[in-house]
Amino acid sequence: MYRSQHLAVKYFAAAITLFGVMTLTGLMSAYYYLNPEFLFGILPFNIAKILHIDTMVIWLLMGFIASIYWFLPEELGREPAGIRAAEILFYVFCTAVAVVAVVFVFVQYGGSNETALWFINQGRKYVEAPRWAAIGIVVVMVVFAYNVIGTTIAARKTTGIITVLMVDLVPLVVLYLIAFPALSNMSEDLFWWWWLVHLWVEATWEVLIGCIMALALMQLLGTSRRIVEAWLYIEVALVLGTGILGLGHHYFWIGTPDYWLTIGGFFSALEPLPLLGMVVHAVYDAGAKHMRATNRPALYWMMAEAFGNFIGGGVWGFMITLPQVNLYAHGTQWTVSHGHFAFWGAYACGIIAVIYLVLQKTRNLTYVDGLLWRWSFAALNVGLLGMIGALLVSGFAQAFVERAIGGSTLQAFIAGQENAWFIEGMVFRFLLGIVFAAGYVVLVWDLLALGRRVPAVAATSAAE
Amino acid sequence: MTEFGLLQTGLLLGLYVLLAGTWGLLYAVARLWSTAIFRGAAAVVYGLHGLTALAIIVRTPLGMGWKCLIVASSLAFLVVPPIAWRFLQHIHENESLEHDRKSSQHSGRVVARL
Repeated sequence: MYRSQHLAVKYFAAAITLFGVMTLTGLMSAYYYLNPEFLFGILPFNIAKILHIDTMVIWLLMGFIASIYWFLPEELGREPAGIRAAEILFYVFCTAVAVVAVVFVFVQYGGSNETALWFINQGRKYVEAPRWAAIGIVVVMVVFAYNVIGTTIAARKTTGIITVLMVDLVPLVVLYLIAFPALSNMSEDLFWWWWLVHLWVEATWEVLIGCIMALALMQLLGTSRRIVEAWLYIEVALVLGTGILGLGHHYFWIGTPDYWLTIGGFFSALEPLPLLGMVVHAVYDAGAKHMRATNRPALYWMMAEAFGNFIGGGVWGFMITLPQVNLYAHGTQWTVSHGHFAFWGAYACGIIAVIYLVLQKTRNLTYVDGLLWRWSFAALNVGLLGMIGALLVSGFAQAFVERAIGGSTLQAFIAGQENAWFIEGMVFRFLLGIVFAAGYVVLVWDLLALGRRVPAVAATSAAE
Repeated sequence: MTEFGLLQTGLLLGLYVLLAGTWGLLYAVARLWSTAIFRGAAAVVYGLHGLTALAIIVRTPLGMGWKCLIVASSLAFLVVPPIAWRFLQHIHENESLEHDRKSSQHSGRVVARL
């Protein structure tokens, strides 16, 4: 194994740990809705929510970085350039995440001053990490970009997938710089902030996971490079073609000109089209291989990714993306439902698939199957679908009572929160969240025990 | 928009894309297994998708421009699965080339040598 592949395993371990923190803080956030006095005076709801969302971003980012560190040396036939710096920065990254989490939990708030901005919380949703930590993330991303681009230059060759990846790394790094400015005009601030949030998630991350899935498909199903590259180019063109200006659906109600209603609605309405193409591709690949692969969990998680991306991003997104509906639905649990489904389908399932592929190699397994992964697959997906359904019901109640009937007044907000449908949705969200958490525990158990169970998984030596 | 119109519009839009996805899925399965039942099911689901589009046009308070977009999207959803399938068949024709499956250092398919 290459050094960067050892580093990839460490990053995957960190990612799965943060996945657990995300799950725990998600459960806590759900419970606050049922019992608002929970941890009163100790840990407010918003801190649990910050931890839930920020660890979601970081664990997925670590999963992406890990996947690239795993595939890159195999792709280019050499150790990545600057691997020593990458190894050091892994520990810096993990330490920074831990320190930021401790500050969030124990310090929580600062004053309206530069000190709070630098050391406690930047105060901008999804990028709350204090400025020193945000600088650290930039350094990690720059070194990561150097690892990829420098290795390609050193190898004196590139492939289609690596070329797409290198091009994608530029906006991935540059867009994060938007996390720094503190504009005093809220409309201007949100305008640029959405570049970071939307264009990371619906453009650069989509391309990144496309590259990772292309590399994983070659390893899992032996799909030819020509095919995955051809599909990757089309996917990138369609995703960027619809996703970049789809940014406009975040500009509906933040004080931007009203032409964004047309632009955002139009391009967002096109976003399901490439996702439908991916569904057809998934069926073709699975059918061509008769759903047979030497790594069944990886195959099933990849299939879950294709369908989850379409339903979570496409179906759930389309419900709320046209301005007339979005006027009432934005910022309710309806959008939370969409967010959970889309992130899970588009990214989380793909990362879990790659982790199974990596474990197959590191533990020298000819065939990966068993019972535990089925239980974790079922519990995680049933739990997530249940949460999404429950959040959708709560979101309907909120949009109906608070927005459409009540006109978004404070009194209407209270009426929405006290509505029986809203409360029941929140109860079921919490209960299904427990199922999801159980699925996470089984997943970790399976990942730790994989290859050490006989006869569920046969090791190469046993097969020989 | 009334409160019931809001829920009705949101649900119809979701159903509209869900049926489009189901149509694509069934179309692909029908092509894969060459079975009449899935071909028929795919056609039925696309028909339901069309009815949902009609319901959106007739029953929701969306503006005319958005309704035209719904019609255009339905046509796009109709052609995406067959085009995607044909493209997949086309690019799989030479899949037997062994070197294509290996990492680039063993593969003849390198887009550039620097």
